[in-house]
Amino acid sequence: MTFALKELLYKMADDQLILGHRNSEWTGMGPLLEEDIAFSSMAQDKVGQSLALYTLLHKLGESDPDTMAFTRNANQFHNCILVELPNQEYDFSLIRHFLFDTAEALRFEALTHSSYEPLAQLAQKIRGELRYHTLHANTWIKQLGTATPESISRLQHSLELALPYALGIFEPSPYEAELMAAGIFEGEQALQDKWLVRIESICRQTSLVLPDLKVVTPVLGGRTGKHSEHLQPLLDEMSEVFRIDPGAEW
Amino acid sequence: MNSLDPRVNRLPEINEPVSPKAPLDQFGTFEVFVQPKEGKPFQHEGIVHAPNLELAYVLAKEAFTRRFTCTSLYVVDTRDVFISPMTEGDKNTYDYIQEPPEKADIGSSFEIYHLAKRGKQHVHAGTVQAGTPQQAMAQARQQFKTDKVIYNVWAIETDKIRFTTAEEKELWLTLPEKKFRDASDYKGGDKLKEFLEKMIK
Repeated sequence: MTFALKELLYKMADDQLILGHRNSEWTGMGPLLEEDIAFSSMAQDKVGQSLALYTLLHKLGESDPDTMAFTRNANQFHNCILVELPNQEYDFSLIRHFLFDTAEALRFEALTHSSYEPLAQLAQKIRGELRYHTLHANTWIKQLGTATPESISRLQHSLELALPYALGIFEPSPYEAELMAAGIFEGEQALQDKWLVRIESICRQTSLVLPDLKVVTPVLGGRTGKHSEHLQPLLDEMSEVFRIDPGAEW
Repeated sequence: MNSLDPRVNRLPEINEPVSPKAPLDQFGTFEVFVQPKEGKPFQHEGIVHAPNLELAYVLAKEAFTRRFTCTSLYVVDTRDVFISPMTEGDKNTYDYIQEPPEKADIGSSFEIYHLAKRGKQHVHAGTVQAGTPQQAMAQARQQFKTDKVIYNVWAIETDKIRFTTAEEKELWLTLPEKKFRDASDYKGGDKLKEFLEKMIK
């Protein structure tokens, strides 16, 4: 059981850390001062949430959070590939933010009922942050998804690009049945079904066309450490300062 | 007033009649009001630029309520804020508000804000019922004018405001734990002292 639980915590923590780092690359370069602040702040929230999850893992016997975040190689990370993809244009980051954060908010919402008490408590605690993240994502998607031909076509292009990777969020775990039986987590399939309903309902309020998921091939592998070429450079940059003096106190 | 410094040109004129507050340049501006604690009045915090009211709310949340405690937030289009003449010294702005010619009829509700000290924020004084912003100002004079000098009054139609909903109150749930976002939380002086002591030894 501990093994199954750790797998769940690792993939969640790694998702938050890697996307938090990616999104923080926009700091100082956002399209609008206020948006720069908001997006950076949410990136900071994500890194904070990853710390909370790594701390749970630490209590289950894993290394301390800094060691886990800064010393593993790409093939030891369990994040989905969606979160490690480079930022490209802002429309891609917004679409990723929308697709990922919707799933993330639903995952934590389900975990508020988890039989693993520390995780249920964490999910309760951060629900306000997640509410903001989805409010922010939905508002931008509704705005830009109805604004001008350029904004709509940019979002549509990014949506089609990101969707196969977004399905990788729900890559099934070998421990699904075990987690469900123990009442820890409802499982990836149930989560994906709820996610699709939310995504569809927002897209319907815009001019965006959500491709039929039956013809989209999910990009999997992230959960078992098979990543794109983009993750290792991210990790190298993220841990650059840490590696100068791993024992330093900040 | 005409100056090469745009900030000087944006300073409000004295003794102008009741008029809408002028927006700044760039994207449209929206005024942000924050309630720092439960039971405290809302106060004006500043502006955000945004393409519409809903996005203004979203952006204002992080721009203005990242650090200090907050229980609620609202935004309104700058063009929906009506302002009285700005006064100074012992001149009360309420004495310069003209009685509107038309009689007060069926009302909308208006939020009234007071500037009690030049350079400070406008603070919520109360709500009045009126037909127009001008009537709202006159109504505010009746209800809220005291011996205390008020330098500026704002009237905002309540229906034009994007309020925080009951469920959205949880947006600020983890804020009290984020003291590290405050510069004062980083004890730089202590760390320096500790470092210097270590160096001397």
